[in-house]
Amino acid sequence: MAVQTTTARSATTRAPSPPRRRRGHLTGYLFISPAVLLFLVFIAGPFVAAILLSFYTWDLLTPADFVGLRNFGRLIADNDLRRSMLNTLVFAAASVVTHIGLGLALALAVHRKMNAVVRYFVRTTFFFPFVVSWAAVALVWKYVLDPTFGIGGYYVERLGFSAPNWLSTPSLAMPSIIAVDWWHTIGYTFIILLAGLQTVPETLLEAARVDGANAWQRFWSVTLPMMSPTLFFATVITFIGAFQIFEPMLIMTQGGPSGSTRSIVQYTYEQAFQQFQIGYASAVALVLFVVVMGVTLLQFRLSRRWVHQ
Amino acid sequence: MNATSPSGASSLQLSRRTALKTLAALAAVPAAGALAGCGGSSQTSSSSGGSSDKAAELSFVYLGTAEQQAQWNQLFAQFNKQHPNIKLKPEGVASTNWAEFFNKLSTRIAGGRVPDMVQVATEGQRLFASKGLLHPIDEFIAKDKAVIDEYYADLNPNLIKWNTKYASPGGKTYYLPGEFNTMVMHCNKVLFDKAGIQLPSADWTWDQFLDICRQIKAKTGAFAYVAGTGYFTDVMPWLLTNGTSSFNADWTQPTFDNPQVQESAQFMRTLVEEKLSPPPGGTFDPFTALAQDKLAMFGGGRWPVINLRKLNAVQKTVLLPFPKKVGQGSPVGWNGYPILKASKNKEACWTFIKFLISKEGTSFFANLGGTIVPARKSVASSQAFLANSPKGTEYLYDALSYATPIPAPDKGAAIQQVIEDTWRQMLTGNTPIAQGTTQVQGKLQGLV
Repeated sequence: MAVQTTTARSATTRAPSPPRRRRGHLTGYLFISPAVLLFLVFIAGPFVAAILLSFYTWDLLTPADFVGLRNFGRLIADNDLRRSMLNTLVFAAASVVTHIGLGLALALAVHRKMNAVVRYFVRTTFFFPFVVSWAAVALVWKYVLDPTFGIGGYYVERLGFSAPNWLSTPSLAMPSIIAVDWWHTIGYTFIILLAGLQTVPETLLEAARVDGANAWQRFWSVTLPMMSPTLFFATVITFIGAFQIFEPMLIMTQGGPSGSTRSIVQYTYEQAFQQFQIGYASAVALVLFVVVMGVTLLQFRLSRRWVHQ
Repeated sequence: MNATSPSGASSLQLSRRTALKTLAALAAVPAAGALAGCGGSSQTSSSSGGSSDKAAELSFVYLGTAEQQAQWNQLFAQFNKQHPNIKLKPEGVASTNWAEFFNKLSTRIAGGRVPDMVQVATEGQRLFASKGLLHPIDEFIAKDKAVIDEYYADLNPNLIKWNTKYASPGGKTYYLPGEFNTMVMHCNKVLFDKAGIQLPSADWTWDQFLDICRQIKAKTGAFAYVAGTGYFTDVMPWLLTNGTSSFNADWTQPTFDNPQVQESAQFMRTLVEEKLSPPPGGTFDPFTALAQDKLAMFGGGRWPVINLRKLNAVQKTVLLPFPKKVGQGSPVGWNGYPILKASKNKEACWTFIKFLISKEGTSFFANLGGTIVPARKSVASSQAFLANSPKGTEYLYDALSYATPIPAPDKGAAIQQVIEDTWRQMLTGNTPIAQGTTQVQGKLQGLV
């Protein structure tokens, strides 16, 4: 009967949590509350605000006016927006390819038997630029690439070539920024991929070696599949970061020459704070969100085919 | 920024009202930023106002860096000696140009951080006045007519005329015209002597300028001139001396695709092609280059004097008006000191404005070595302004007689970016001149 009573009770009611467990829950919530608060204030709140503002026109200095979907209709015919989106896609694609490809090459080069001090020095050297702020990096490289006094041009001329105007030539400006971005952020990708290499079981590599696989076959058939989760993570993070690129364009080229380096984030900033069109800028920001989310979801879907589970 | 949905109404009024309340707190700051030297408390009101002033605290936002703060503090201290009850809280906003400053200021206002006092240059005066943020000062002017009459009598009439035309929408006065900057040519006399060239007269021409550039390059190896891309500093002087401009007289229509603009752009392109100028788009520092005798000429207003003094290059520098093609020309931009509508300290604001426009305030700032030309003729021609300055500094004030206000429609930052980017492409040869000017014209039409 006691069992029936207990069963009957549990079918319709939940036993109250013991006081100690409730205190544990409360403690957990308190621990995560700072992060949740920061998330709400700096991410969720502005996100909701951007969605709402995209239905208004607002110039910061006078009251906002509701305009419905007009801002979104304007997106379709905006050639400058299309150009900025294309620039950003080019940058992101180049960034992912160079970061993953060259980052993996660096990681493979470092992941071998070597003196611990040498390994530490190499890792620090490649990672150090990553801790320097983008503003400082962009300013320094602007001087390095100066067409008159820059040391970049100096060494090009020493090789017998004419030093180009790197940041004022439309065909060279974006490649220059891609190269600077690689210099600045490769350390992060390199460290992640190096850690991924270290997760590849040595026993599998030994077994492949015993079976007669050469270095390339071991890399292609064992190392790459085993570190595919790390590669996937690095690819997703690199793409998301590259799509939000802003500082080097603003500082080094101001989006020029002729709009050839204007990124989508810079375009959003200019619409909001130079042309005083907060509503339209919010609509552009939502487009950016949709694109990044769409590509990321696509990457997750495709990962089922090539990422080792 | 509060994103609360409006209930029924189509206007979102939250931040506006909040901003206006905050603006009120700002109110009258005679924004005498780094450019200001404008001062001039009225001799009647400021000298007697001191202890009878109602206590007030005015926060003040101006265009300036932290290193300029010390100069500003000296000016404020001088004001506080006479008016100890009015406390000033200055804050410099570092910006590379006025358009950027106004963008930052607008963002601050929208975000609720509204200062009491603001420095407003030509590039933003019409924008701010047209947005209903400012309190007309006609009543104060009428009340202190003697002070204002004395001030106006010491100004170039053009400043008063331009202030009325460009910064007084609806026929109301929001600003008193303050200190300003024009553009003149800074010449390195050492390089001229080295090349055996006599300094030209004030009415020299484009052809003479080009000939001098070629001679200096050939005989000294130094760059002759910096063909830059700044809208105020590098584009407008060459348009105005060729009888044209970026916009029409009332700033409603761009005029960038006419033959004179193309001719000016081609003239600058010639300097780059012949390597008489460093390539545009880099980080070339004209002040250091001139001090090191690697550069013969650059265009500038009053602001280079700070660097020239630091580099001990004042003695070798001589100022001349820009060479002319059709006539003499120079852009001009000046400061204004509005009282914000929601200010609760309008009287205190006006007291500070009068201090800044007084001879005392103007001279004080001129002595400190500011980067602006005093609006008062008496101060601009005095030793307070001319001492330790290049020969020919008086041309900065004289340029008011032929200067043109820098066209500044509301979307100033975007307009400036369009012009500067395409000008750079034309000078580097990446874009043909005719194509470039047409592109700019089309984009500017979309921005007005």
